[in-house]
Amino acid sequence: MSLLQVDGISRHFGGVTALRNVDVRMREGETLGMIGPNGSGKTTFVNIVTGHLVPDGGRLLFKGTSIAGAAPHHLAALGLTRTYQAVRVFGGLSVRKNIEAALLLGLSGAPAAAEQDELVHWLRLDHRLSSPAGSLTLFEQRRLELLMRLLQRPSLIMLDEPVGGLAVTEVREMIALLQELKARCSIFVIEHTMRVIRELADRVVVLMAGEKIADGPPADILRDKRVVEQYLGTAHA
Amino acid sequence: MNGRHLAIALAVAALAAPFVLEGNRFLAFVFGIVMINLLWASGMNLLYGFVGLMPLMFAGIAGIAAYAMVALTREAGWSFWLATPVAAVGAAFVGVLLGLPSLRLKGFYFTLCSLVIQSVLTLAFTFFPRFTNGDTGLNQIEPPAWGGVQLAGVWFDATLSVVAVVGVLLAAWIVQTRLGQRFIAIREDDVLAEVMGIDVVRNRIIAFFIVSLYAAVGGCFYASYVGFISPRSFDVLTSLGIWLCVAFGGRGTIIGPIIGTVILAPIPYLLQELQAFKDVLSGVLIIVVTLVMPAGIHGEIMRRRSLRRAAAPPTVSAAEAVSSNGGAR
Repeated sequence: MSLLQVDGISRHFGGVTALRNVDVRMREGETLGMIGPNGSGKTTFVNIVTGHLVPDGGRLLFKGTSIAGAAPHHLAALGLTRTYQAVRVFGGLSVRKNIEAALLLGLSGAPAAAEQDELVHWLRLDHRLSSPAGSLTLFEQRRLELLMRLLQRPSLIMLDEPVGGLAVTEVREMIALLQELKARCSIFVIEHTMRVIRELADRVVVLMAGEKIADGPPADILRDKRVVEQYLGTAHA
Repeated sequence: MNGRHLAIALAVAALAAPFVLEGNRFLAFVFGIVMINLLWASGMNLLYGFVGLMPLMFAGIAGIAAYAMVALTREAGWSFWLATPVAAVGAAFVGVLLGLPSLRLKGFYFTLCSLVIQSVLTLAFTFFPRFTNGDTGLNQIEPPAWGGVQLAGVWFDATLSVVAVVGVLLAAWIVQTRLGQRFIAIREDDVLAEVMGIDVVRNRIIAFFIVSLYAAVGGCFYASYVGFISPRSFDVLTSLGIWLCVAFGGRGTIIGPIIGTVILAPIPYLLQELQAFKDVLSGVLIIVVTLVMPAGIHGEIMRRRSLRRAAAPPTVSAAEAVSSNGGAR
């Protein structure tokens, strides 16, 4: 059984087709990358899977049950969560309050205090607990985002450009963090930075103008003639 | 002095004041009005300060309850103490029903929608005179009776003190429960709150119901205390006046609405001779709050304090001050 099974998803915005008949499957424990030019429908795809948008047609299964039309808060309880391209934390609240907000979900298997501390320490936020989340650096905010998700023990986390806006050294650190994250949950990641895809993804899906044009291991995909021509360009190849 | 001491001191002051003011009927009456407004403001604050929605139909809901209470006591012969909870719960349900479509909206759009609902309610009070007596209003509303004796004078004032103190304490308790934490998360970022597993619409409905109860209970006490109600008692200006108490004092804190109400609520009564000036004053205050003190008096005090602290050793608290200012919007 796939962890996530997306069959023939389509979505139109007025006359514009954002997604056409896209199929994606993910196994438990797999890290799946999604790449494609701007406007190819990547974020729309995540918005549909995480309940922010309703698809025009198609089937959505998470852990074997249909999640079409389920609200995001419902999906969070099922273990499907996401981050945003533009970082999103409760900026006016302290880091500690952000953590408490994440724990409001009240799962029966919520991490005990010791494990919470371990996560905080791993993401190097221990010295920031009383700072307002809005005063943190972008990289710290990205780590706080991950922390808040992990406290809810997701089975699948969908990351929308997790290294967007980060400095080169920070990108390296983030990739290392995400490598370790792979042991904790399945990851779906949208990225433009090919390093992230190359080093993290077990498999890559390529979207182009709302259609899936390739699906396979990163090494093959990054050599695929169509992908190179239409997306990567010769500079990357 | 910590929060608990301050709370006890304020509660004692509120309960003692009617007896101190007993000699001056006018001041005692103004005090009673302040207590009703305090109940209203702490209710409004739950939605405006903690969930981030500005309900301009607040007075309309108070009106529904007040008219219902009068009808139940006059026509069905119920006692005030039975009619008030029934009318309050009924009005809160009507409020939620009316608010249901708008509770999916946020920020400005919710406010706009609530303004429309308030206008419709004001029109309804005017044009369905069966229960409201139209623009003429209802007068000689009986004060509640307590063991066969009608509440009057100092005992009515003291009753209002108790109601207001209970209302404030209840609000203070609600905001530190898990429910209150959810409200704050929704206020800060409703999209993120939803992804964090919080059912935003459901929690907004719960908040709106609680707030409607505050409005409604206040409306019933207002009607029996003043003895006269008309559509003007519950129009949009009333909603705005209560909102101003919250915004002026400091939204999203428990002490803020208390400060705002104590300063602002007596003004219309103390300046009764200067009707026009009173409206100009509240207009000016709305502008001042929006431009100069978006976090209200309490927020402004806190900001200055943290700036002063930041001036001594240059640490993170400067950033704190900036973000608390930005967070107030």
